[in-house]
Amino acid sequence: MNRSIVLVLMTVLTFTLAASAGSISGKVSGVSGESVVYVDTIQGKTFPAPAEHLLIDQKGLLFQPHINVVLVGTTVDFLNSDKVAHNVFWPSLMQGTKKLPGKNLGTWPTGEKRPYKFDQPGVAALLCNVHPEMAGYVVVVPTPYFATTDKSGSYKIENVPDGQYNVVAWHEGAKTQSKPVAVAGDTKADFTLSK
Amino acid sequence: MRLTHWAVGFCVVAMVMAAVPYGHAIPAFSRQYGTSCSTCHVDFPKLNDFGKAFKDAGFKFPKDDETFLKVPPVMLGAPAQREMWPHTIFPGSIPGLPAIGLRFNTFFQVYGRNRNNFRPPDSTDPTIPRTDFQPGLFSIFTAGNFGSGIAFWADEDFSVGGSQADGGLGDGYLKFHNIGRLLKLPNDSLNLRIGQFEIDLPFSPARSWNLSGWDIYDEANFGALNGANPQNVNNSFAFSSPGQGLEISGGHQYKGYHYSLAVINQNTSGNTAAADNISPAVGLFSDSNFKDLYGRFQYRFNLERDPASRNEIQAAGATGPRDHTYLQLGTFYFYGRSVQRATGDTGVLVAREPFYRTGGDFSFNYHSLNLFGLYMYGHDKNLLPNAENTGFVSGVPAHFNGGFLEADYLFYPWLMGIMRYDRVQSTADFINGQSGESTNYFSPAGSTRNRITPGIQFLIHANIKASFEYQFRPPQRVFDSEGNPASSPFRTNQAVAGLEWVY
Repeated sequence: MNRSIVLVLMTVLTFTLAASAGSISGKVSGVSGESVVYVDTIQGKTFPAPAEHLLIDQKGLLFQPHINVVLVGTTVDFLNSDKVAHNVFWPSLMQGTKKLPGKNLGTWPTGEKRPYKFDQPGVAALLCNVHPEMAGYVVVVPTPYFATTDKSGSYKIENVPDGQYNVVAWHEGAKTQSKPVAVAGDTKADFTLSK
Repeated sequence: MRLTHWAVGFCVVAMVMAAVPYGHAIPAFSRQYGTSCSTCHVDFPKLNDFGKAFKDAGFKFPKDDETFLKVPPVMLGAPAQREMWPHTIFPGSIPGLPAIGLRFNTFFQVYGRNRNNFRPPDSTDPTIPRTDFQPGLFSIFTAGNFGSGIAFWADEDFSVGGSQADGGLGDGYLKFHNIGRLLKLPNDSLNLRIGQFEIDLPFSPARSWNLSGWDIYDEANFGALNGANPQNVNNSFAFSSPGQGLEISGGHQYKGYHYSLAVINQNTSGNTAAADNISPAVGLFSDSNFKDLYGRFQYRFNLERDPASRNEIQAAGATGPRDHTYLQLGTFYFYGRSVQRATGDTGVLVAREPFYRTGGDFSFNYHSLNLFGLYMYGHDKNLLPNAENTGFVSGVPAHFNGGFLEADYLFYPWLMGIMRYDRVQSTADFINGQSGESTNYFSPAGSTRNRITPGIQFLIHANIKASFEYQFRPPQRVFDSEGNPASSPFRTNQAVAGLEWVY
């Protein structure tokens, strides 16, 4: 009997939350290629990091994927799939204009991976000190409300609870932009970035 | 004193040529693989361990080459056609983009204050300027792999020192890699190279990163037939000159053994095809029946304690892969026969003078420091015309020795400091200097040429370099034919700054 009541309450709660959650969608213009849009820190709220690790592969002298978005606390596995030696480091973790110290993960053989837990928000520009043309990005975001744009620059962040937020748009090599967005159901927010 | 303005002019040009090493980084590979010059070069054209492995593999990534190519090759036949051979042409490939690179450099030079003591006081010859701007070379080069382990290389200087006439073919060859597999020999133990190439020297003057070449490599042996100890040698062979022929080689440059054996043209005169030697097909490059022989062996000990790291192409450092800590030891031997013809009293006299060059070398690398050196001894048999002018008698051999010691230190990946010591001691230079025959501004009289050359090189980008070096030399003096001083002492110190780019 008690179990049935709990189930009913949970179902009602879920529908209630879904009813009050909307989305943020729009377009990032002024730049070409993939951009990242995310909801910035929400005061008083923290989110558990996913247990699954994200995999970033060094393959064909490239970081694959090139741009990666993870929630704070996520562990990233760096894999070397190339038959050449690689290295992974980032000179700093950028929080807006603030620079936090970077990290050098060293070097490891082909086929092996090295994990690293990103426990602070910011943008890490991944580099290899053997192949200076290689670059990748880990955008560490403070909330699970994020999305990447498609080829046309469009994005959609699903399941964002209604409320007032700061929404940030990031693009490789462009000035990061943030704007307040009041989410009420499906909400639009467009960005125009410049280099 | 026979120092004409032509001689001075020649000296200045020779000096400039000496300051313009032939070096080749390969932007063509950057384009094909979408990677930076620094993947293969420390300070172009100096190779790092990966660059050495890339070259050893026939201008390919040593493993899984196809996964790194950003521009796929054009197949000249499907790989499956191999099964059809000999009923079809064996399938190969060509680079997807024309594998072409260009290089240009330019120089600014400053000479010592008393440089013009080189000339007699009453000379009306042109002055050696205090400062001088010089164009260096403008070159095109192409290299790559045609599949089946067949590598190619060709480089051509459009102009050197601003003169097209001084340009020409550097290296041009095909190299058949790992043909030992056909004989079931160990991997990479036998390669064959055919064409025109620089012999397999321990430190390549053709790909030197220094502004001025290593002096010992430019040492030819010309001894004058006068003075108290006459010589009759006229051998223009120098290690810095490319030879035409074939070479077998094997092993690796980044670990373990490496050897090469070459057979190349003898070319006593140093001239290329003479006009009257041009046949409808190709000209004649050699002026002797004899073919010169060259052999080299080296062994490199990688010194990392971890065996896995020791045997990799690059060592695994704490903050990333790096060149190994290593000690490399090597030796070389060159044997040839120069030829001179003269009119004697009983007809044409032909002096065939055997000569050899031999020596040893080492290279030690520890993190950012590379210390290396070479010693060479050269010996030419000296056949002097007899008193009757009907034949030859053996004279005192013309010999020289010398070498260099160099330390390169990488302060940053873009900043390399260099300290060099070069020395050449030559009996022929001594005789020429004592007899007043020398027209060499840098060693008009001395039997010994020493210099200390500190330098520094900046990579502005991975493909643009600014270099500076200062050459300290001991005081020099010109002597007349009686051995009396014919000039005040002077130094031939020289500061050289260079800028170059490749793409």
